[in-house]
Amino acid sequence: MNSGYLAIVLNAHMPFVRRPEYPRFLEERWFFEALSETYLPLLRVFRSLEADSIPFYLTLSVSPTLAAMLGDKVLGERYVDYLDAQLSLASAEEERIGNDPAFGPLARMYRSLYSADKDDFQELYGRDILSAFDYYYQKGRVELMTSGATHAFLPIFRDCREAVAAQVETAIIAHRKAFGKRPSGFWLPQLGWYPGVGEVLRSYNVQYTVVTTKGAMLGKPTPRRGSFAPVECLSGLIAFIRDAAATKAVWSETSGYPSDPVYRDFYRDIGFDLSSDYLNAHLEDSGDRIFTGFKYWAVTGRTQEKRPYDPTAASARAAQHAEHFFADRCASAAAAAPFMDRPPLMVCPFDAELFGHWWFEGPAFLEALFRHAAASGELVLTTLDDYLRDYPESHSSEPEFSSWGDGGFAEVWLDGSNDWIYRHVGKAVDRMSELAERFPDESGLRERILNQAAREVLLAMCSDWTLLMRAGKSAGFARRQVQEPIANFGRIYDMLCSNTVSTEWLTRLEKRDNLFPSINYRMFRRKR
Amino acid sequence: MKTDRLEALSLEELYALADKTGLDLPAGLERSFVVEEILEALEEDSEDRRAAQGEAVHIDEKKYSGMRIGDFDEDPGLGEPMATRYNETMIRAIVRDPSWAFAYWDVADTELEAIRGDEASAGLFLRVAELSPAVEQLDSHREYFDIPIADNDLQWYINLPRSGVRFRIDLCARKGGQGGKFRVLARSSEVESPRQSLASQGQALDPATYELLALSGVEDLPIEVVSEGNPLRILPSGISRPNDRAD
Repeated sequence: MNSGYLAIVLNAHMPFVRRPEYPRFLEERWFFEALSETYLPLLRVFRSLEADSIPFYLTLSVSPTLAAMLGDKVLGERYVDYLDAQLSLASAEEERIGNDPAFGPLARMYRSLYSADKDDFQELYGRDILSAFDYYYQKGRVELMTSGATHAFLPIFRDCREAVAAQVETAIIAHRKAFGKRPSGFWLPQLGWYPGVGEVLRSYNVQYTVVTTKGAMLGKPTPRRGSFAPVECLSGLIAFIRDAAATKAVWSETSGYPSDPVYRDFYRDIGFDLSSDYLNAHLEDSGDRIFTGFKYWAVTGRTQEKRPYDPTAASARAAQHAEHFFADRCASAAAAAPFMDRPPLMVCPFDAELFGHWWFEGPAFLEALFRHAAASGELVLTTLDDYLRDYPESHSSEPEFSSWGDGGFAEVWLDGSNDWIYRHVGKAVDRMSELAERFPDESGLRERILNQAAREVLLAMCSDWTLLMRAGKSAGFARRQVQEPIANFGRIYDMLCSNTVSTEWLTRLEKRDNLFPSINYRMFRRKR
Repeated sequence: MKTDRLEALSLEELYALADKTGLDLPAGLERSFVVEEILEALEEDSEDRRAAQGEAVHIDEKKYSGMRIGDFDEDPGLGEPMATRYNETMIRAIVRDPSWAFAYWDVADTELEAIRGDEASAGLFLRVAELSPAVEQLDSHREYFDIPIADNDLQWYINLPRSGVRFRIDLCARKGGQGGKFRVLARSSEVESPRQSLASQGQALDPATYELLALSGVEDLPIEVVSEGNPLRILPSGISRPNDRAD
């Protein structure tokens, strides 16, 4: 009998920020940065492990909006443009500081990283990152989950089953289209669970999800194995439980590994340190100061005086932290094992973008963790699917309403800064259901416009925008990301009520909001 | 929480809220002082929670690092400005956390005019009605409470007296001078506030489960202690094991 299981679960997600009508669109950089700093580095980790025959297993949720953008040709072209701009800036940086003993090697490091990104994206993967992940999916190394179609915070919509079902159904269809396989697992956006959501998920044959420690511990009845085994909900859905200690070790902004003084500082960026004239020669001439990705300083401490970043020292520290993390999980398993009737499971869910984007050394940490686990053999690395194959039976418990946001409930997505959206989104959902009832068997142009209406409703439900409104960052942009689909939906609703359709406008909108090509508006029909 | 929302609560309700917030206030305090204390405590609590639990969201925010420093152009070319309401009579309730629900409502213009035109009408109010007994019966509570609202109010956060209960919110128009009669204009779906305490509280759990709950980090979670003197409750400082029982 092994001494325990360790399941790393990553949630890869970006909201839909594709705006082809603009020659350049600043928020598309979120996606490009995640590609350069997280997704491509993760694939490099997988390749490195595979080349050395190191077994690795993890579960990866690829959100439907991210999958839509990863498969989009326009964004693929723009990403290459982005890389060219980054390489141009890297050349300028080499010229500017290439002879500096501390910073010269860093400028060359960035040039090398962006060159590798371009080679990987263009040559190795032929601009098809989804297939790259699919390769590891097919090999059984990476289990792919899906998530809410537009990352809606589902507990807010618990009184509207059609809206929740639409998020789930659209996601599953999009996943099958992207990867040719129905997903077993569903990542609840923001880990937003409510009693009853399992019924919706099970009705689409989803096998499992992940919930917070608090939500699970408040479940009914109290989980008998604590967080060391999943629970079976009333619906039959399996809920894996986040390991609180493992999460904190990596996640905490103040005491987690990423806050180590040796690691690269996220905030100090030449985008804020150098002159606008210099930067605008290479980046968008928007007048805004933005993060460029060129960061030369280490965390150092809670001070403005930073030490130059030392990649060698940081890499060594990442390996130490991986060993420390693994040792802690072994100790945790050893402590729990005497009270268990099966090996303890520790589920460690994180945002994928934590690794690489915010925590620059995160991919190196993961690689070191997989290598150390393989060498040690003390814990079995597993995907959530594989664990369920080994242990299909779980104790019964229905987790309580919960999320991983501040306060553990809905505080982040429902406060004075963002609560105004729910009247409009709720109305759009009601009207969409009304339209689906009134026009159940449409085809041709009317079906196209109904499907576009469904897309707009889903886009308005996105939880990223309410999060940004609350954070006060890009709040105007976030507001617009809700206002636009609501206005688009309203226009479609009026068109259908007055039986007049502007095909030119519809075609333009379809080209812009082009996600979910297989969407079926009938999913909004009222559930009976 | 807004001050005006607290001002709408009775002194008894304010004391109940203060107690729930962890404040130990002596009886007989000035109402305004109680309000101030609650606001301060909630602000501190909010900061603590942000510091302790919000890492996931903070990191989520960092995904969007390439963001505009200035705000986005607010002229999205949307034509008409967004409506603030849809001229319909409705109410919807959304649970935010164990203590608060958000309700938004509307009264169709024709209906509102009729209410305003009725000289006997004494205005609108929300009736918050519990639909199930609380998981833990702490003390006697009303089965419902009413909140007067102005004609032009469209939404409010409503303090829930207890966690772990199902409730419903009715949008009502009171008929003045008719013995407290009223008319229900709209009714929300039934909603449920989440528990804050372990479902097994007060029940015997086997020793292995106690150990596993402790190892799962239960004592570090903001899970509520329900009643003093319960030998099997989860204590803030740790877990009370079966062999530690006071009885």
